[in-house]
Amino acid sequence: MRAEHANPFITAAVSTFAKELNINLKRDELKVKESPVPTKSVSIIIGVTGHVKGQVVYSMDENVAYAVTKAMLPGKLPAELKKLMSSAVSELANIITGQASIILAGEKYKIDITPPAVFIGAELSIDFLSIQTICLTFLSEIGAFEVNVALTEE
Amino acid sequence: MKKGMIVDDALVMRMRLKEILSTRYNIVAEAENGAQAVTNYKKFQPDFVTMDITMAEMNGMEALENLLNEFPDAKIIMVSAVGQKQQVFEALSKGAKDFIVKPFEPDRVLLAVGRLFE
Repeated sequence: MRAEHANPFITAAVSTFAKELNINLKRDELKVKESPVPTKSVSIIIGVTGHVKGQVVYSMDENVAYAVTKAMLPGKLPAELKKLMSSAVSELANIITGQASIILAGEKYKIDITPPAVFIGAELSIDFLSIQTICLTFLSEIGAFEVNVALTEE
Repeated sequence: MKKGMIVDDALVMRMRLKEILSTRYNIVAEAENGAQAVTNYKKFQPDFVTMDITMAEMNGMEALENLLNEFPDAKIIMVSAVGQKQQVFEALSKGAKDFIVKPFEPDRVLLAVGRLFE
């Protein structure tokens, strides 16, 4: 895992929150971990293949996921927002990963990403990759947002 | 009024695109993957399609190829977060009419669809 693989996710997360949600995301901490296991109750896992490969795991508390959905779909009623939460956070993760992949791919390479898999509330019984991971945490008016970047270059 | 179909695996994105496009077009069908897009295209014969790329079952690039093989005049606009140079080039060379990178402004979508019928 190289730091330059994580940097595009900082740029992409900040710009996607601003453009899609009109929310100002601020950098908090950067930690190095042994795998991309998330720490919060809502997680979105996206696989990456191509020039760089591995997993990116996004994580946030449920109230943050709800606030993301509300910001993405203003005017919807609370019951409807709860039903749409999974779709909203998966699309947010998809856009951030897509934007970061544009930077990582540059002119020469191609990077594919898998459709997002969303987990809400349950214990995660998933085998995460054992890849050195850069865990980026962000703060915002709606709460904390975590991005675990576990990528290696081909 | 021209008829459109929206293809995206995320319900929120289909809702948003429908809200934008319904102001000028009749959205007759939606699909959440490429396979469903091919089936619905045959059933509803839309005048244009907005097509996501990263989807399960059949991705948008495969659906683009399948649809254009069978319907060479199909007007398909890619709408994807994965707007890498190579992907944009691949989609356009396979016959997509435009490539919109998410996140997008509503005007960008209306402009792209409007151009199809000029």
